[in-house]
Amino acid sequence: MDLSKITETLISGKSDELKKLVEEAINNDVKPADILNQGLLTGMDAVGQKWKAGEMFMPEVLRCAKAMSSSMDVLRPMLKDDDIGNAGTMIIGTVAGDLHDIGKDLAAMMFEGAGYKVINIGIDQSNENFVNAVKEHKPNLLGMSALLTTTMPRMGEVINSLKEAGIRDQVTVIIGGAPVTEEFADEIGADLYAPNAGTAVEITNEYLQNK
Amino acid sequence: MKINQKINKSTKFKVLSDDQIEMIYYAALEVLERTGGNVYHDGAIELFKNSQAVVRGNNVRIPSFMVEEALNYYPSKITLAGRNKKRSLHIQKDTVAFGTGSDLPFTYDRKTGERRRTTYKDVNNAAKLVDALSNYDFLMSHGIVSDAPNPQTYDRHQFMAMLEQCTKPMVLTSVDGEGLEDLWKMGCLIQGGEEEFKLNPLFVAYIEPISPLKNDRTAVEKLLFAAEKKLPAMYTPCPSAGATAPATIAGMLVQSLSETLLAIVLCHLKNPGTPLIMGGVTTVLDMKKSTYSYGAPELSLASAANTDISKWLNLPMFSTGGCTDSKILDEQAAAEQMMNLFYSYLSGANLIHDVGYIDHGTNASLESLVLNQEMMGMVKQFGKGINTDDDYLALDLIEKVGPSGEYVTTEHTFEHWKEWFLPELQDRSDYETWKNNGSKTMLDRVKEKTQDLLDNYETEPMDEKLQKELKDVIKSADERHS
Repeated sequence: MDLSKITETLISGKSDELKKLVEEAINNDVKPADILNQGLLTGMDAVGQKWKAGEMFMPEVLRCAKAMSSSMDVLRPMLKDDDIGNAGTMIIGTVAGDLHDIGKDLAAMMFEGAGYKVINIGIDQSNENFVNAVKEHKPNLLGMSALLTTTMPRMGEVINSLKEAGIRDQVTVIIGGAPVTEEFADEIGADLYAPNAGTAVEITNEYLQNK
Repeated sequence: MKINQKINKSTKFKVLSDDQIEMIYYAALEVLERTGGNVYHDGAIELFKNSQAVVRGNNVRIPSFMVEEALNYYPSKITLAGRNKKRSLHIQKDTVAFGTGSDLPFTYDRKTGERRRTTYKDVNNAAKLVDALSNYDFLMSHGIVSDAPNPQTYDRHQFMAMLEQCTKPMVLTSVDGEGLEDLWKMGCLIQGGEEEFKLNPLFVAYIEPISPLKNDRTAVEKLLFAAEKKLPAMYTPCPSAGATAPATIAGMLVQSLSETLLAIVLCHLKNPGTPLIMGGVTTVLDMKKSTYSYGAPELSLASAANTDISKWLNLPMFSTGGCTDSKILDEQAAAEQMMNLFYSYLSGANLIHDVGYIDHGTNASLESLVLNQEMMGMVKQFGKGINTDDDYLALDLIEKVGPSGEYVTTEHTFEHWKEWFLPELQDRSDYETWKNNGSKTMLDRVKEKTQDLLDNYETEPMDEKLQKELKDVIKSADERHS
C-alpha cells in the first residue's frame, strides 16, 4: 500500500478521509510502525516545515494536528512501545491561580499532532494535582504554562513538589507563557523553554533525541 | 424581516459638511468674478475673449454662469488600461487607487547611502517595483530621467523607462504641449490607434497651475492639447498655505478650487466634455525651514477636505499620500507616510499619488516604495469596515464553543481568518524568535524585499516591433531638439 497517500491527506488536513486510509492500511496488514513513521509523521514533518517557512498558518496546522490525533486514536492500540519513539505521553496544564489556557491548548494540540498522547489536566491546577497526574499517568513529558507574572513562580513550586515526591527525574519539564523567559526556566530548574506554541514540539523532539 | 436598516459596507470619513463645501464653492466662484486668474497663453486668451469672460491683458475674470455651464459637461468616470490592456483603473466616485509621484531630481542610492541625480535606470527600477507590488494601481515616474540626451525631450525617454518595466496605467508629466503630443502618440501606438486610446486611455496627463492664480504657457498648452484630443488630464494646484495661498486651510481650498475651475472653463471653451480630474497638493510652508511640507498633518486634512469638495462637484479627485519630509526612510518617514496614506484613502480620493516620496518631494527611494506596499495594505484593511451578517455575528458558533472552549480549530476560523490583513514585512513574532532570526528591523526587511524584487521579478516584456515604433517617436523628438 502506498503510504504517501496518507502523508498527502494529512497535509491537506482531511480528518475523516485520513482516518479511513489509516484503517484501510491496518486492515491490509501494513505494519503500524510504518503507518506512523512513513505515513503520518512524514506528513507532520512536512507541515512543521511549511509552518516554519510561513507557508502554512495556525488554523491549517491545527487542522492537520487534529487529523493526526484522531488517526492516532485508531493506530495507538496497535503500536508497540518501541514504535512510538520519543512521542510518548505528556501531561499539560496551567498552574494554580491562572485561568488562561489558549496558549497551553495550542501547545497541546501541536503535541498531539506530533503523535504524543496528551493528557490535558486544564486550568488553575494545584501543585498536588500536577504531582498526582505524573504519578498516575507516568508521562515522559510535563508541560506547564502561565500568562501572569503573579502565577509564574507556581511553576517552580510544582517542580519542587515533584522533587519532594521523588519523581522529578521521570519527566522532562517544558514551560512557556508570555512573561516566561529562558532564564526563568533555568532559574526554576525546568528542562526546556518554548517561546511559543508553534515551536514547542520541535524544541522538545530535538532535546529528547539528544538525551 | 427588519426595517429601517442601514449597513456600512465600509468605513466612512468626511471632513466638511455640505454647507461648508457650499461656502468654499461660492467663495471660489466669487474669486473668479472678482479677482480672476492670469493666463499667459495667446490662444487661451483668444478663447476667453470670444466668450463672456472679461479679459484685461493676461487677467481673465469669469462669470459664475460660465463655470456652472462648464461643470455640467465633465465626465465623472474615466477608465484607464495599462499596456497589458486590462481596464484595471476605474476613476469614479469613492473608488480609490494608489500610485507613485513623479520627477524627483534625486535618488537615495542604496549602495552608498548618499543622494545623487536620478537616472533612466532608477525610473526603470521604480516601474518594476510598481508592477510587482499589488497595492500600486498606477505609476508615475517616481524619479526624473536626468541622463536623457536633452532636457527638452526627457519626458519621452521617461515614458519609455516606465513602459519597459510596468504594465499598469500611468500618470505622465510632460515638458510642454509638444511633449504631451509625443506621449499621446506613443500611447496611441500602444493601445492600437487614436480611437482605441480614447476608449482605453493608458495615461492621464499631469498638469499644474502656478499658485496663486497663474497659468503659464506650457501648462495651458498641455490643457488645450488634452481638450482637443479628449485626453484625460488633471489640473492640480500645489499651493503652500502662508506663501502661495492663504495661511488658513479654508482660504487655500477656495483659491485652489478657483484655479481648477478656471481650467474647467478653459477646456470647455476649447472642447466640451474634456475628461478633467480635479487635484491639489494642498499643504503648508514650513515657517522654520521654508520648505513645502509633504508630511504635515495639514496636508492630510486639506487633501481630505478637497476630496469632499470634488465629490460634491461630481469630479474625480487626484490626491496625495504615502509621502514624507524625512531625508531618509526612518521613523519620521513611516509616521508621516502612514498618516497621509490613511486619511487620503479614507477620504475616498480616486487617484492617490506621491506614494513613496521622501525628502519633501525631492528624493526618490525604492525602499520607500516597498515599505508603503505594506502600509497601503493595512490602510485598505481598515477601510473594509465590519460585516454584521449572521455568519459574522457568529451566535451559533459562540454557543457551540461555549465558555472555556477555543476557536482556533473551528471551521469558522478556518474560513474567516483569511479575510484579515496578512503582513509581509511587519514582524509579529515573540521576542526570542525575533532575536534568533537576527534581530532584524523593519528597514532590514524592507531592504531585503527590495533587493529580492529587483533581482527576481520579471515584468511582462513589450512587443519588439512596438518598442521600435515608440523609439522612432523619441528619436524624431531628439532630432527636432538637437
